[in-house]
Amino acid sequence: MGKGKRNSVVVISSSDDDEDKDNGFLLKTGFRFSKSAPTRKNPKRAKRLSLANSCSWPLQPSGSSGFDEVKQFCEEFDQGFTQFKVTSGSRGNKDLWVEKYKPSCLEELAVHKKKVEEVKTWFEERLRNCADDAQNNVILISGQAGVGKSATLYAIACHLGAEVHEWNTPTPMIWQEHLHNSNSGMRYMSKLDEFESFVERVRKYGLVSSSFTKVSPSIILLIDDLPVVNGKVSYGRLQRCLHLLLQSIRLPTAILINDYSTYESVDQHSRYWEELQQSLQSAGAYKVTFNPITVNSIKRVLSKICRVERVEVCDGQIDDIAKASGGDIRHAITALQYLSLKALPICSLSSPMRLPAYPQENGNCSGHLDEGFSLPFGKDATLSLFHALGKFLHNKRDARSLVTSDRDAILLKEKFVRCPLKMDAPELVLRQAHGQARLIADFLHENVQDFVSEEAIQDAWVVNSYLSDTDLLLSPPTGCLVRKFEAENVTQSVAASVAVRGVLFGNTNPVSSRWHAIRRPALWQVEQSLWCNKRQLLSQRTDVHSSISLNNLSILATEFKPALNWLGHREPEETDGGIYSSDKEYHGISLDDKDDEIDNDEIEDW
Amino acid sequence: MLWVDKYRPKTLDKVLVHQDIAQNLKKLVTEQDCPHLLFYGPSGSGKKTLIMALLRQMFGPSADKVKVENKNWKVDAGTRTIDVELTTLSSTHHVELNPSDAGFQDRYVVQEIIKEMAKNRPIDTKGKKGFKVLVLNEVDKLSREAQHSLRRTMEKYSASCRLILCCNSSSKVTEAVRSRCLNMRINAPREEEIANVLEFISKKEGLQLPSGFADRIAQQSNRSLRRAILSFETCRVQQYPFTVNQAIPPMDWEEYVSEIASSIFKEQSPKRLFEVRGKLYELLINCIPPEIILKRLLYELLKKLDSELKHEISHWAAYYEHRLRLGQKAIFHLEAFVAKFMSIYKGFLIETFG
Repeated sequence: MGKGKRNSVVVISSSDDDEDKDNGFLLKTGFRFSKSAPTRKNPKRAKRLSLANSCSWPLQPSGSSGFDEVKQFCEEFDQGFTQFKVTSGSRGNKDLWVEKYKPSCLEELAVHKKKVEEVKTWFEERLRNCADDAQNNVILISGQAGVGKSATLYAIACHLGAEVHEWNTPTPMIWQEHLHNSNSGMRYMSKLDEFESFVERVRKYGLVSSSFTKVSPSIILLIDDLPVVNGKVSYGRLQRCLHLLLQSIRLPTAILINDYSTYESVDQHSRYWEELQQSLQSAGAYKVTFNPITVNSIKRVLSKICRVERVEVCDGQIDDIAKASGGDIRHAITALQYLSLKALPICSLSSPMRLPAYPQENGNCSGHLDEGFSLPFGKDATLSLFHALGKFLHNKRDARSLVTSDRDAILLKEKFVRCPLKMDAPELVLRQAHGQARLIADFLHENVQDFVSEEAIQDAWVVNSYLSDTDLLLSPPTGCLVRKFEAENVTQSVAASVAVRGVLFGNTNPVSSRWHAIRRPALWQVEQSLWCNKRQLLSQRTDVHSSISLNNLSILATEFKPALNWLGHREPEETDGGIYSSDKEYHGISLDDKDDEIDNDEIEDW
Repeated sequence: MLWVDKYRPKTLDKVLVHQDIAQNLKKLVTEQDCPHLLFYGPSGSGKKTLIMALLRQMFGPSADKVKVENKNWKVDAGTRTIDVELTTLSSTHHVELNPSDAGFQDRYVVQEIIKEMAKNRPIDTKGKKGFKVLVLNEVDKLSREAQHSLRRTMEKYSASCRLILCCNSSSKVTEAVRSRCLNMRINAPREEEIANVLEFISKKEGLQLPSGFADRIAQQSNRSLRRAILSFETCRVQQYPFTVNQAIPPMDWEEYVSEIASSIFKEQSPKRLFEVRGKLYELLINCIPPEIILKRLLYELLKKLDSELKHEISHWAAYYEHRLRLGQKAIFHLEAFVAKFMSIYKGFLIETFG
């Protein structure tokens, strides 16, 4: 959608006078209505929006009916819009398609049948012999957001006739509230505290809350939202708590874990989740991983919804939505609703007039696919840091000649000309990977030499000189007393851009692609051990040689230390092999736990 | 005890090099009015020795009784308090410290210490010598902010304390500070002077010193007296009695740098560059300052280089040294220099030998 319609918008609104008066009038009223819409913040945008809709609908010659329809449409639209906005958070609202078309039975699930079956049989077994203590009663369901973890669970529960009892996530507290509470003497309980006490309660007494007066046949406990932990201590608490739960719970329990790992591999947080999953699994929890939902099943669900809602959305669009959603069905459905929000009045009106527009629209759809991010729906694509680094380092380029660029580009000397990149603009890739300049520069510096071909030392220098520029940009300005953070932000992004573009530009003929492990920058370790050695030297300064004055570090390192090594002065372990023996490399600061994690990430041929 | 410390002259009269300066200092102090002093000169030229001797001249033998302390300062900097830990050397009359060890927080240290010293001003029974001396090392490494605050405090507390500043290059000390001090330029001792000192030491130690050996050490010492004495002592440990053409053990890091240089000459490729990076890392880990590495590396490279290229290489070395000082991560610039050298050298080889 969009392009074609937008064009027509321009035509009509700019040429008020050549259109017949009805039209002009209609449009104006249209403006008025949309302006009065309560949720709009920006009237200008609103105008455009509603215009876009009203104009896509073929104007009918009869004035009054047209007016009514437009009016009706505007109201509907506004209604739909406000409702959509206001209620989007709350549960059980049937206006939201996500809720409305929530799968109620197993057949409706878009999740892969095998997985559903797996979970179902697990629950069946547990429910059948729930008195049996020997088994573990916890199932871990992990998967990316919106792959239908909870939906599956509810559907299965419904199928088995069990009742789901969910751990109600406490609402987050805002600061004012907290102040109010603490003034009135209530102690603040962290979410983790609350979760702990909940687990304690459930373990000891089962679920005998007041809402469970009637005896239900079987209960499934669902823990959807584990409290967020920060830092080792609270992580330890959560882990302990979950282990307790694991050991002593009698009810079949499902713990849902969102899998972030694919996106934010550098994030400390996601690492905790992975660890947690592993430890729970090794403690005996049964784990099922849900994969992102395939494009085809999303498409099936979407077209079904379209059928039920009697919305006509072309296949191309459904296809787009499904692809853009990245396996997140909730997102896909919401996107569809958003899309059909625009189309709603069209369907309610006579449709035959619209039909001829189809082929044109299809064309537009396919055109849009290439742009990707111009879709109003669709997630922002994120890249992992290593993916982005791989792109930069491999430096794929189109081998074709540069005929396209010679028309309006500045003429460059032969040696500055490079083939076009086979990727988005580097800055865009950086943004998608959330690359911080320093991090990117360190990683590029560490790894880029592997990708420069053996003969090209000149290239290696060019790359290095750009990295040196980057370092200059990144170093805090000396001399000015006030730090300007806005300016620093700009320098940060400029520095990242310089580093990346420098690497791309400098490496004229990269090594033919092969598998490469990306090394973690040795620089970090070097810095750590440097710091450590410095401390050591400084502390030795006073006791090793009883010099009565303080010497500075460089003299210590360059003059005293070698001399002391020769003299064998109080440093027996250093005298035998000299300080540069390779076994003492990096002075044994172990960062191994981090090491293997990152080293395992490989760059493949993207 | 190292000979460097053992034979450090204790009084201004016993000084072997810079005797004229020592005499002037003595005159200055005996007149009881000592201005702030700024000693500058290359390392190993005897700045510290002169300062210590000067202190002794001012306060008598009690200036020698120093104690080493790790002091913690809690500095109230507006909204927060900053903890700074520093090693100080102090007697009843003076405090010596390296404020640049505090890194980023150096300005607070300078201010705070001077304030503290001004507060507990020593009162002699005779009411004399009512000031303390603060010896600040490496003033050139102080940040701009710290130097600014130094300037203000110098004026404010000049009644209660005297500053003796010590640095390698006065060009990095702000004008404001320099003009408030009496500047003392301490030159590097000449090679004959160094040889004289070595002969003096060998006489004291009762060693047989073959003629010419002291001169050779002096030549290798780069006109740093400290270095000369240190390597003299290592020679003594290695081989005694001395022979005339005895090898003088080089500093291990210098050897390592020359290894790097020869490996650069052998091959110029990204792979070699990567190896060189690893070696540079090791030097850096062992606290060798990057500027010194670059300087030494350039020296080693120039030794074997065709004179046609020397100018260009020196230019690039200067270029990257400048960036090194501006930037944060030394390795980026060191490596860029090595890469540039490799690139130029390879081009040169191809041009000359095809």
